[in-house]
Amino acid sequence: MKAAARIDIDRKYCKGCMLCQYVCQFEVFEPGQERSLLDYLMPRPAKLENCRVCGLCETHCPDMALTVIAEEKGEKKQ
Amino acid sequence: MNPLGEKYLRKDFLPFVFCPGCGDGMIVQAFLQAVDDLGIRDDLALTAGIGCSSWIAVYIHADVLKVLHGRAIPAAIGLKATNPSRKVVTFTGDGDCLAIGGNHLLHAARRNIDMTVVVVNNQLYAMTGGQVAPSTKVGSKTQTTPYGNIEKPLDGCKVAIAAGATMVSRWSTAQPRQLIRAFKKALNHKGFAFIEVMSQCPVQTGRYMLGSGSPQFNFQWLKDNCVIIDDPSKSGEVEAQGKIPLGDFLQVEKPEFMEEVQRMNQRVKEAQAKGGDR
Repeated sequence: MKAAARIDIDRKYCKGCMLCQYVCQFEVFEPGQERSLLDYLMPRPAKLENCRVCGLCETHCPDMALTVIAEEKGEKKQ
Repeated sequence: MNPLGEKYLRKDFLPFVFCPGCGDGMIVQAFLQAVDDLGIRDDLALTAGIGCSSWIAVYIHADVLKVLHGRAIPAAIGLKATNPSRKVVTFTGDGDCLAIGGNHLLHAARRNIDMTVVVVNNQLYAMTGGQVAPSTKVGSKTQTTPYGNIEKPLDGCKVAIAAGATMVSRWSTAQPRQLIRAFKKALNHKGFAFIEVMSQCPVQTGRYMLGSGSPQFNFQWLKDNCVIIDDPSKSGEVEAQGKIPLGDFLQVEKPEFMEEVQRMNQRVKEAQAKGGDR
């Protein structure tokens, strides 16, 4: 099973629409407290261990701010 | 930022002008994915009219022509005529393409010019503040129809089929993978390709027509109200239930306009070589 090493959300472009949280089947995201440079509250990948790298959040991000980086094969999570 | 964005977008124009949760950004991404998969970046020539959806073309690092309201298709025809090896793609909205540019759509489809028209349908004129458009459903409340719209909507896909387009599809932003596939088909298709994309507009359609300005609500509305059909003949049943049929409706091969022009030029040259006027 694939796992995500990290999920990057670009502070310059995120508008806090939370569609990533809405389309995610594994409840990875939750509303965060940090504000983006456009002054919107950004989502936070709180449960990263649930992520299966399906890429739905990436294809649904309307501002192309989100990137899911998959864990390399053989690399163990700390 | 998304790696596709790093590769294909004009960074100094970013962030997108679109409102939070707008579907236009998803269409940019789906289109870039199709372009990346096909590797046709250097051949791209984009045109756009006026409207929110016409901003899609502006952010893509390719040759872009942004023209008068409704005149995106004639500009694209001009680009195609000057260099038929170009992949010409037009981004317009429902108001831009079906209302003020309706005549241009009919005649470009009739001539079967090798180009792709992407119509982003959010069911009203969003950029100017939410006025009624040709695609607005009966009974919808907009800024100019506060007691409900009484005009019947125009179905862009049916108009394109009737006018003679050779590839017609309709998808929504809730199906990005099917949308990418449709873009790839359209870019490879030799002839007039018409793709209508149902898109969410939380700020105008959502707030005034559907009752909520939340992007999640609008996205779910699209999922609930669009039905994917395999057989185009079933679209009547779906429309009778008040829903929107999605799918690949038509793909046929017909003689293409620019090739016909080249053949005619050849005939003229042959006639002139013989010495006659005709």
